[in-house]
Amino acid sequence: MTALLDRPVAPAAPRLRRDRRRWAWGLAAAGLLVWSLAGAGLFGGGVVNPGGTAQVGRFAAAALSPATDAEFLGVLGRSVLVTVGHAAAGTALALTIGVAGAALLSRGTGGRRRAGRWAARGLLAVPRGLHEAVWGLLLVNVLGLDPWVAVLAIGLPAGAATAQVFAALVDEVPRGAYRALLAAGARRPAAALYGLLPPAAGGLLSYAFYRLECAVRSAVVLGMVGAGGLGYQLALSFASLRWAQVWTAVYALAGLCLLAELGGRAVRRRLAAPPPALSSQPSGRRDPVLTAAVVGTVVLVAWSAWYLALSPASLVSAGTVEQLAYVGGAAWPPATDGGLLRTIGGLAVDTVQMSVVAVAVALLGAVLLAGAAARPERPTPARRVTGALVRAGLLLLRTVPPPVWALVALFVLRPGVLPGALALAAGALGVLGRLAAEATEELDPRPRAALTALGARPVATWLYGIAPRAAGPVLAHALHRWEVAVRDTVLVGLLGAGGLGALLAAELATFDWAAVSTVLAAVVVLTWAVDVVSDRARAALR
Amino acid sequence: MGSRRAARSGGPAAPPRPPSPALSRRTLSRRTLSRRALLAAGAAVALTGCGASAAAPSGPAALRVGAIPDQDPEVLQRVFGTVADAVATALDLQVTYTPVTDYAAAVSLFRTGDLDLVWFGGLTGVQARLQTPGARPVAQRDIDRAFTSVFVVNAATGLAPSGDLAALAPLRFTYGSPTSTSGRLMPAWFLREAGVDPDGFPGGPGFAGSHDATLALVASGTYEAGVLNAQVWRARTAEGAVDPAVVRYAETPPYADYHWLLHPAAAGRTGVPDLHDRLVAFLTGLPPGDPVLDLLGAGAFVPVQPGEHDRIEQVGRELGLLR
Repeated sequence: MTALLDRPVAPAAPRLRRDRRRWAWGLAAAGLLVWSLAGAGLFGGGVVNPGGTAQVGRFAAAALSPATDAEFLGVLGRSVLVTVGHAAAGTALALTIGVAGAALLSRGTGGRRRAGRWAARGLLAVPRGLHEAVWGLLLVNVLGLDPWVAVLAIGLPAGAATAQVFAALVDEVPRGAYRALLAAGARRPAAALYGLLPPAAGGLLSYAFYRLECAVRSAVVLGMVGAGGLGYQLALSFASLRWAQVWTAVYALAGLCLLAELGGRAVRRRLAAPPPALSSQPSGRRDPVLTAAVVGTVVLVAWSAWYLALSPASLVSAGTVEQLAYVGGAAWPPATDGGLLRTIGGLAVDTVQMSVVAVAVALLGAVLLAGAAARPERPTPARRVTGALVRAGLLLLRTVPPPVWALVALFVLRPGVLPGALALAAGALGVLGRLAAEATEELDPRPRAALTALGARPVATWLYGIAPRAAGPVLAHALHRWEVAVRDTVLVGLLGAGGLGALLAAELATFDWAAVSTVLAAVVVLTWAVDVVSDRARAALR
Repeated sequence: MGSRRAARSGGPAAPPRPPSPALSRRTLSRRTLSRRALLAAGAAVALTGCGASAAAPSGPAALRVGAIPDQDPEVLQRVFGTVADAVATALDLQVTYTPVTDYAAAVSLFRTGDLDLVWFGGLTGVQARLQTPGARPVAQRDIDRAFTSVFVVNAATGLAPSGDLAALAPLRFTYGSPTSTSGRLMPAWFLREAGVDPDGFPGGPGFAGSHDATLALVASGTYEAGVLNAQVWRARTAEGAVDPAVVRYAETPPYADYHWLLHPAAAGRTGVPDLHDRLVAFLTGLPPGDPVLDLLGAGAFVPVQPGEHDRIEQVGRELGLLR
């Protein structure tokens, strides 16, 4: 699951002209939204199912009385360790793949030639296009109950994403030092190592810690498809509708996510703005806090490998090779019968509509909540409490896994695109709300102060002082979330809420591997297409 | 690798070690352990089991029991924890129960050799046998020779119990798991026999995932009708756990369902050459009223006759659920 966007790029100086492309994009977005809402049956009426309110009530009431018996807490405690192990080992793998992939992609090294760059991109599009849960399900078929399933399922897609970001970071570094080294006779690898890597190191480290935060959430989703840890406990309690236990697991998970987010953010802030005491000292001194964070993470990864007993031997054992041959042989060539392709076409439409509705709802919610969630400069006690409550609510929204939201939505809504869309919207709102709040916090406070001083009411201050400048970054975040939502539709589909994921689940259940590879190809192509559209739209926003 | 992995990965109650009779009895006395500790053990095994069979340790290893997750995991834990305990005592073996999260996973993990002895439904058992050459049925319950499914409707539909399945066609309908024999395969077959397209319900049929989830979703009215395992329906009715909004509508004719399946490599892994025969002897020799039989709702275990599941295979192929 994933990706929160990195901090937005600092907004460029405003240009005093209207961008026509933005009108086109805006109209297209509105059209897409109306079409999706119609597809979700919102204009047809009869989407609500009031009979299920009692069940939703039970779910909500249990939030206040989570299970606290010692046995369950003990089980959860051990599950947390497993989840941490999966996340840390998965991140380590992702970073290893990221470094290797970046070397292939970067213009300084493998990406020098256009063909090489495109080949590397194509190679990385496949792992990136599939959700971690899909990787998990595929890997279980080859590796069985091995801890590598979770580690690979986190590491492969995250590694592909990391490679692209790392390559971009290295490409942005000024090339003076690199060229000088080349001119002095250094070989390319050495020149890249000494001329490109040091200036990019801060950005790379910052992204690495961000990846660790994402991996915690991924580890939980993988648990839900059977890989163990906290998500697995959550899935077991969820399958028996024991909401009190589900909430305890969700709180444990929220704590873990919060810890990862706070730690990651602290490291990234420190990298972005080192304390003056250090920056004024002669160069060569290391920041002890960052050194401790890096050493601590390395120790954590080593501990994870030991705790999970990851053994490289099981990746190349005869049994693994045999299973890989079995699945590979059954999956090739992909099925191409007309009926399947038509079904895929129809479900791809559902998937897109689901993701569009999800992001639209999340964006609306984020805009409404951003003001309350942002930390004000001079907070009153009431404002402080409201802010903390809203932020905690957003944390819970993004922590409760989408399949749980999907079932809760399914209790009160008719089956179809809508319950899945709302389940995804809940998670997306949790992320977007936080990002929108941060975007408002980072705005230059002076226009707002000036408007207030001139006697403007709060609404007008918001409309003219905040909205115009926050809109760009927030929309960019929303477009990025759209990509993530398309990937996540597969997840809620796998666990029952329609779209391509539901078809994938059906084909996996009947072991029709040829059809599975066709569906997976369709998912990769769809994700890639949405990626391209969202990227173009973001370019128009810049 | 087994023991270190297990010990480090969440601490199962009984880390696999060579059994000395007294010790193994004690450590394996699953009933003395809590439900939650069992879940922990299951989870630990789930994540850490020795991947591929080639990597298995050379000494005798634990027999790994699994079951398709057709109902509440806590119920399964109680049932199969007891089964594991009984088998461990009778055969003097290490036995662990590993919960899995979906039907297909049980089949896959049987194929990869991560589960040795699995309680499969009719269709999943056929899938597992097709994917794992040499797998042998061990035993089934007396009730599995003539198993049935119950169609339920939400009371708001106003439908009175009847044998007429055609009345279900215009309703929002949910099956259980996509490859459940009693929650999908056979009901779909009987619907088709009654002239109803089993995939033609408005909005497409739902897949609740388990029999209990089917009950919950029909109770909420999200789906107006559904179908589940008759045994689960009777058990929940007897417990008084069925929401009054759910009404029994019809019951299918009988068909063959659940059975135990043994992996061909299990005998070698556990160091018991006649494992299959000993399991058959143990299961079929259980006296009436034994806790294992009570928990599984059976009067006795009986051997599986050759060809018993041929009809399931044929129906599965006709409905496109088997390749």
